[in-house]
Amino acid sequence: MRVLVAVPAFNEEAAIGDSLDALASFHALSDVVVVDDGSADSTATIARARGATVISHAINLGVGAAMGTAFKYAVAHQYDAVVQFDGDGQHRAEHLRDLVSALPNADIVIGSRYSEGGQFPASAARRGVQRVISWAVSAYTRTPLTDATSGFRIAGPRALEVFAAHYPVEWLGDTVESVVIASRHGLVIREIPVNMNERAGGVPSQSISRATLYTGRILFILLLAGIRSAPPQLRALKRRTLSEETS
Amino acid sequence: MTPQGLAIAMAVVLLVAVVLLLRSYVLPEKYAVIWIAASAAAIVLSGWPGLLDRVSQFFGISEPINLLFVGTFFVILLLLMQVSLELARTRDELRKIVQRLALDIQSKNKE
Repeated sequence: MRVLVAVPAFNEEAAIGDSLDALASFHALSDVVVVDDGSADSTATIARARGATVISHAINLGVGAAMGTAFKYAVAHQYDAVVQFDGDGQHRAEHLRDLVSALPNADIVIGSRYSEGGQFPASAARRGVQRVISWAVSAYTRTPLTDATSGFRIAGPRALEVFAAHYPVEWLGDTVESVVIASRHGLVIREIPVNMNERAGGVPSQSISRATLYTGRILFILLLAGIRSAPPQLRALKRRTLSEETS
Repeated sequence: MTPQGLAIAMAVVLLVAVVLLLRSYVLPEKYAVIWIAASAAAIVLSGWPGLLDRVSQFFGISEPINLLFVGTFFVILLLLMQVSLELARTRDELRKIVQRLALDIQSKNKE
């Protein structure tokens, strides 16, 4: 199975070099694509020097769009699976193997910080928010999920086809809404426990207003998912698959 | 039909239009929130005219309808400003993309 590791990166020159070095001992960098999402710093230069393939967006479009590009690249280059691996040092390369080996039984495997055996330093407020979100997401997808907002995940062949056609681009949509879309498409989602590092750069969002906005946004996504039909690209994909099956 | 019934019907039509556009992925969520809020406000105000009277009394406005006009005018101004800002941003992004594309095509032709 050919596995592509996709690293979405926006102004990550401080962390991208170390992230790729850590990745290199578990995965060949020739099968790593860094999607530089319109960085103004030397993210792309550093990544290219390490031997990764670099795709640069001309403007900043967000993580969702960066992953969308990676999925299209994976399909165009005949990969079977795509791992999302953040360039900020939060994800640990040693879990790559666990994600890949869990794939045969699922279409999407999510590395969860909160499931049994996972460890992540989190405040009580953050855990509370997480509990509400995981309850809502699990109820919607009818799969027990503890960490739908985790970006550390692998998408197998069936999921790849769906995500190359459509991947949500709005804030938090890339993680939560993609899970919802996948479950509506009948894909099997699983979780494995992982450990994560605190982000190397960036400020963790801890304030109450921020947490409320975050939770509200996720509940809004789930509410919308309840009334939404499938996007036009996915309806076309479904029609194609159905006609292939009948012919 | 009473004028109030007409107002409620119009507000409901607005809300249904917003939900249908949202549902079919035509209207992005980012802009949907403000339209949902606007149509919800329209439904509340047409369904409960007493609210408008009370608020205008609080501000010392003798004709409640004037409050409605001033308030609506202000909200529409804000919406227009948001649209202008978005348009400016989009044009700026378009410029960056065209310039980048032009440079890429030029370097490809030289090879």
